[in-house]
Amino acid sequence: MDLIDIPAAQAALTLLFSQPSYWLVVIPGIMIGLFFGATPGLQTSMAMAIFLPMTLYMDFLQAMLFLTAIFTGGGFGAGVPAILMNIPGTSSAIATAFDGYPMAKQGRHNEALGLALGSSTFGVFLGYILLFFLIKPMSLFVLKLGPSEMFIVILWGLTLIASLTGEHVIKGLIAGLFGLLIGTIGFSEAGVMRGTMGIEILADGIPVIPAMMGMFAASELFKLVKTEFLVEDESKRQVRISEIVQGFKKAFSYPVILIRGSIIGVLIGAVPGVGSSVSNLLSYIETKRRDKDPDSFGKGNPKGVVASEAANSTSEAGSMATLLALGIPGGGATAVMLAAFAMHNITGGPQFIREEMDIVYAIIFANFGQVFLLIILGLLLIPVLASIIKVKMTYLVPSVLVLAVCGSFGLTGNMSGPNTVLVFAIIGWLFRRYHFSVPAAVIGMLLGAMAESSLVQTLQISGGKFSYLFERPITLVILSLLLFSLFGSKLIQKFTQKK
Amino acid sequence: MTISNERIANSIVILCLATFVIWYALDAHNASSSLENMILILPVCAITLCLCLYDFFTSKDDNKKEKEKKESFSTVIPVMILFALYVITLEYLGFDLGTVLFLALFLFFHGETRWTWIIGYSIVFGFLIAFFFSMMLPYPMPMMVFPTDY
Repeated sequence: MDLIDIPAAQAALTLLFSQPSYWLVVIPGIMIGLFFGATPGLQTSMAMAIFLPMTLYMDFLQAMLFLTAIFTGGGFGAGVPAILMNIPGTSSAIATAFDGYPMAKQGRHNEALGLALGSSTFGVFLGYILLFFLIKPMSLFVLKLGPSEMFIVILWGLTLIASLTGEHVIKGLIAGLFGLLIGTIGFSEAGVMRGTMGIEILADGIPVIPAMMGMFAASELFKLVKTEFLVEDESKRQVRISEIVQGFKKAFSYPVILIRGSIIGVLIGAVPGVGSSVSNLLSYIETKRRDKDPDSFGKGNPKGVVASEAANSTSEAGSMATLLALGIPGGGATAVMLAAFAMHNITGGPQFIREEMDIVYAIIFANFGQVFLLIILGLLLIPVLASIIKVKMTYLVPSVLVLAVCGSFGLTGNMSGPNTVLVFAIIGWLFRRYHFSVPAAVIGMLLGAMAESSLVQTLQISGGKFSYLFERPITLVILSLLLFSLFGSKLIQKFTQKK
Repeated sequence: MTISNERIANSIVILCLATFVIWYALDAHNASSSLENMILILPVCAITLCLCLYDFFTSKDDNKKEKEKKESFSTVIPVMILFALYVITLEYLGFDLGTVLFLALFLFFHGETRWTWIIGYSIVFGFLIAFFFSMMLPYPMPMMVFPTDY
């Protein structure tokens, strides 16, 4: 199998530079993405859906460039409120908040935002390079993934709970398992309703992102009410472009974390329904586990921001692989893109890859260009966004609470969003006060439903036979990787010590 | 032996969590006792309960340093009540008026003495944010001053 179709690549370059109009839509696309991503409650997929009708007036390639530009901008934008306000606007930025927000509280907001921009742009760039070389094998790989493989991947994510417990291990585990149970509330795979107390709105489960906003942001804000500023030291409250640029450069001083995060991002991003929500967690957990000082994570370690942002931004390329090669949308954003395919009478999938490879390559090449535009626009806009650090807490606390409430309404379309923020803000505050790990609970919530669904599907497919797992080589490979990641370094250490 | 208030509060939280876990396990079992329905819930509930029991009997008081770091109930509870009132009344007051009132009351109770700032900020920020979301979202929001189809 040829990995690269050279004539198609040449045709793609010619096509891309034949009309400047292709590039005109990229800058507004990135800015829209940045704006929607950085506003809690407004999602990248929402931006793409809102602007989808505009693509009717564009040709197919231009439409795809516009939509992928929104996707790229939104990927980075989501990390901004996670760092500055502890609000991961999407589940893909959860791990960014773990270390990004403590960095902001220490007055290292400029560095954290620069790190996020550096790792995001690297992630998008490497992701699309991998996509360029591996689009065909990746699509075949995704087709081979079944529920048992998905369960092992989710199990991998769940191991993060154990490493986020902090000093209070038992309470951390209780919080994680509590989150896991909360994640299963609503209609089950077996078609029955559990834990809804007869409230119809909960049939689809607890809205996870509003719950996350409540637990992470609102509960933290309750704690900060008596503080004058987020950063106590006035000299550290400055917004300095030089520090942002330094942070940007610093991201590249962790090449192993960047590359590992990007590979995790592109592979997990390609798995429909899992994507960037899990990839940022896996990348974070692996970085923390392999670090010499794992205890520094969660307290403002820049590696945590790099690991998370590299993985979540690379997931874009992974999800594009399944969309282009198989015609399967992995999440909300690619689902909107699929709608754009339909609007232009194009069907994604093997036939599209075979017949329109030049278009596929043009989309990939254009994304390389988007990376550079994202750097420029990011560096221009970050100082404006970072100024939030200078706002007095008397004004910041109610304003962020209002944003979380309006944003949660935007996510659910009804009052269940704001009510969820309220309930989980109180739970989150109690958890913080009595040392139950909030991040562990949030991860449990996020992965609970996914874990149950893949477990039930595996049970149904296998007919209840445990031996089924041993008949699936990919399951065994992923399981071995998981076991190696958990115990490998300790085994190697013991082995070398004995020697 | 005296038991501190902190430890009592911690035990109450643990008991609440354990009660939720038992209730959820029973509710799920009553909905369907099939393997598909209980495959994850039953083991997770069992492990969580064991951990809750362990913590209930072994938890110790916070050390002095941790106690000092904790914010007092008297500062947090009023904010929580104000926030709860804001969320609960949103459907009746609308996002515009509700937000303006929440911001104004919050600023007033947290030491802002300049009336022009209280009124100006809450009106400008409150209406702007509510109007922005009502324009951007594809579904109607409850509003009082800017009426929508809600």
